[in-house]
Amino acid sequence: MRPEIARYACNSPEHTLNRRSMLGVLGGGLATATSAGSLLANPLARQHKRVLMVFLSGGVSQLETWDPKPGAPTGGPFRAIPTSAPGVHICELLPYTASQMHRLALVRGVNTAEDDHGKGSHIIHTGRRQEPSLEYPHLGSVAAKFVADADNPIPGYLNVVPGGGGGSNAADAAFLGPRYGSVTISDGRAPANIDRPVDPLREQQRHDLRRAADQRFMARRKSAQTEAYTQTYDQALQLMQKKALFDLTSEPAKLTESYGTHDFGRHCVLARRLLEGGAPFVKISHTNYDTHHENFDFHIEQLAEFDKPFATLIEDLHQRGLLSTTLVMVVSEFGRTPNINRNYGRDHWSKAWSVALGGCGIRGGSFCGKTNAQGTEVVDRQVHGGHLFATYLKALGLDPAKKYYVDQRPIPMVDPTGSPIGEVLS
Amino acid sequence: MMKHAWLPLSIVGIALWAVVGSSIHADAPKIVPPVAKDQPAKTAPVVAVAKPAAVPAKSGQPLAIDAAIALDEPTVSSLASSPCDDLTFLRRVHFDLVGGPPTVAEARAFLADKDSARRSRLIDRLLANPDHSWYWSQVLDAWWMERRPAKHVDAKLWRDYLRDSLAQGKGLDTLVKEMLTADGTDEKTRPAARFVLDRELDTHLVVRDISRLFLGANLQCAQCHDHPRIDNYKQAHYHGLLAYFQRTYLFDDPKLKKKVLAEKADGEVEFQSVFDPKKITRKRAPGVPGGPERPDPVLAKDQLYISAPAKEVRGVPRHSRRSLLANDLTAGKALARNLANRFWAQLLGKGVVHPLDQIHEDNPPSHPALLDSLTETLLQARYDHKALLRVICNSAAYQRGGEARAGQPKNAEDRLLIARLRPLSPEQMGHALLFATGQVEAERKALGAKATPEAVWPRVEAQAAPFIAVLAAQPGNPDQFEARLEQALFLANHGHLQQFLPPRPGNLMERLLAEKDPAKAADELYLAVFTRLSSADEKVEMARALQEKDKQTALRDLLWALLGSAEFRFIG
Repeated sequence: MRPEIARYACNSPEHTLNRRSMLGVLGGGLATATSAGSLLANPLARQHKRVLMVFLSGGVSQLETWDPKPGAPTGGPFRAIPTSAPGVHICELLPYTASQMHRLALVRGVNTAEDDHGKGSHIIHTGRRQEPSLEYPHLGSVAAKFVADADNPIPGYLNVVPGGGGGSNAADAAFLGPRYGSVTISDGRAPANIDRPVDPLREQQRHDLRRAADQRFMARRKSAQTEAYTQTYDQALQLMQKKALFDLTSEPAKLTESYGTHDFGRHCVLARRLLEGGAPFVKISHTNYDTHHENFDFHIEQLAEFDKPFATLIEDLHQRGLLSTTLVMVVSEFGRTPNINRNYGRDHWSKAWSVALGGCGIRGGSFCGKTNAQGTEVVDRQVHGGHLFATYLKALGLDPAKKYYVDQRPIPMVDPTGSPIGEVLS
Repeated sequence: MMKHAWLPLSIVGIALWAVVGSSIHADAPKIVPPVAKDQPAKTAPVVAVAKPAAVPAKSGQPLAIDAAIALDEPTVSSLASSPCDDLTFLRRVHFDLVGGPPTVAEARAFLADKDSARRSRLIDRLLANPDHSWYWSQVLDAWWMERRPAKHVDAKLWRDYLRDSLAQGKGLDTLVKEMLTADGTDEKTRPAARFVLDRELDTHLVVRDISRLFLGANLQCAQCHDHPRIDNYKQAHYHGLLAYFQRTYLFDDPKLKKKVLAEKADGEVEFQSVFDPKKITRKRAPGVPGGPERPDPVLAKDQLYISAPAKEVRGVPRHSRRSLLANDLTAGKALARNLANRFWAQLLGKGVVHPLDQIHEDNPPSHPALLDSLTETLLQARYDHKALLRVICNSAAYQRGGEARAGQPKNAEDRLLIARLRPLSPEQMGHALLFATGQVEAERKALGAKATPEAVWPRVEAQAAPFIAVLAAQPGNPDQFEARLEQALFLANHGHLQQFLPPRPGNLMERLLAEKDPAKAADELYLAVFTRLSSADEKVEMARALQEKDKQTALRDLLWALLGSAEFRFIG
């Protein structure tokens, strides 16, 4: 399924060229480039790192996904199938994903010791347990601050959510500052106020007048704050020019068909477009895996909706040369109990569950950690949220041992009891 | 390691304190306060800038602000920037005292005023204006409620309460006392209980916010142990404050059908440090940091309650620890010191102690004599906020210009040698957009004789609300300036601002369209938006706009451009 040639949604080189990528392009093989698309996409793809978080909301069952236990009393009705990664078997509910396993890695010894949805989600997003005294930044905010290209106008932490609602959640950034908070992309629609109220020519003119006024003023008085303020208008203009990123109609029909036309499929396409357009962090969510009743029926339905778009997304990222610079993680608040309750459901289980990783900095086909035969306990290489967070940072080329300084107080970037999981890093 | 890094600083701070402290209340300061003698008389009109500073402190009187700064920063006489010009002062003081810029008519009138006391007269006029209480009730609301949603108390009634208190000249200590003692049972005083009720009486939140907002000392990190980095912040301080609140509980009043505050006569605070290997449990009676412990009076068992708690009966003890807090909190100087620091930060852009909730020995004030002066001013004025504002606005430090002077150090702003370029608060920015476009004048014109503050302000607030929402901090957090993409998208593209740009009777665009002379139109525009006259370049730019075929669109874009510029967003 070779996708159509990678191209920028706006079809206009000016819109995607920023100063840094301009240098990259000029320094690279300008003469050999054959089209604007390939000219632009590849240098950008090589230079910038990104993160794709796939959040399976409610707590996906590890037994029906990454750590099947066929035949065990806790195993449920499904088989395990071989995958494109030698020695790795996953649940038969993920046949398309199985063909991408050589590009993914599995961490099967996750014990986050937190069975509450909100608190589990907090651990997965921040790598820490909730503390009353200090809020920690989400991974998305960390990426927005440390991975983002400062010249790129796309907000650093994009959270694509299925339902309504919108706006931003500055609190996600904690002490990193509100500008690194998440921006909600409600049902894949473009951010609020992205449409210009006047025609393009006037738009340019009024911003020229604004810049002239700023120049006059800042020749007399300026500060870091005035510079940051004036810059946001230029970022807004650039983002407005990238509005087309949110328009999926330019995608080839065959490809969108492959992704699927349901919400999650569309959000996967959008995620790829945003990552390709330079977004440093995109989170997409698929809901709902909180299967206290009828766990197996629900997983058949839900995973059927997840499997093909997700596998298509990995393949698409790979074919566009983006996967090697895009760190991918498939996470949940926690896993589900090996014990099958009397409603054929599985309850919350954080003691022994799995996370799938892939892309930037991750060794495809690797796996780490082991649970016992019934899946009730981690028997080898147990890790918690801090290990996962350290692994993410390491995979992105950041140093997990670094500290933030908040009012001169040193705050380790990662829970010091967690270290990178070397077995899955490339 | 952090401690050692801090040590020299704290020694300097204490030493400075000792030296300065000893001379503060002397009969006359030895150092002559700076007068604006280096100001070239021919370019700037003579104005009595530093009048209060020129008056030597009388016995028992606080040292004047500028004299105090001269003690803290002796280079001020040789390195301070010249005073700002009249229009810069006008814009500054309008924003600070009534929350928005002056109208063009007010600016022209001030330019025409040749009285040497025009600045201090303006300050008095603005302080007496009803707009002052409207605006400052917004400021106090943002300080104390931090944009928390209304849960048990109507936000409008709370704002009315703050505004009426300010208008009556109620001391801020009395205001704080009322906020801590009101129990919500009397509709008249219920709004004062919002501080506690709309924090859902979450005692840890209430204690944290009392320590931050009223004492300027964030004790949150001293809840489970002595503060790991700040020697002054003890776990016993935290629990001393907690003990005042421990016995208070939320009660569903069956008649009012509302939550009210009730209190028990028993319940002690005990705590252990998580760092203490022996896990020794300590008891703590109420007490404010640095103050004495306040044990309960001994009462016979049948004397403990005015009304004993029972089902459907609100507990009212004879000895209320919560009422005791209201007394203890306002008895010492800590409240006044914190308030003085916050008022200074509100008007000058940075606290004398900064951050505002980090008053402790290792974080000394940048200008200790200044902080003493401000604190004493507030205390001697019996917490009358207007007295403090009047003194600050009349000071040379407040009226400092923004033009750098040769030889000024890099940190001239922090050393109060030059005016700080500071962002408008969310409220100021919201009002500014409505004033600059002439929307407020248009509203006044439409209301005609009925244009009282009571009629105009609710409209201004409703129209400013969408701007404030996009600029303000998350609920429960203090506002801080952040330049964010979504703010720019809102101001650039959202219809809310665009609707105020076209002509309407009484607004700016109507006046601009009626003006044929480009130079006059430019001055009208720049006085409305920036409170200054236009430059030659800007007159040329205006002439160009007026020549366009679609004059109104050209003017609209020029107006928008200025509203989106940094000069508009900041106070110079």
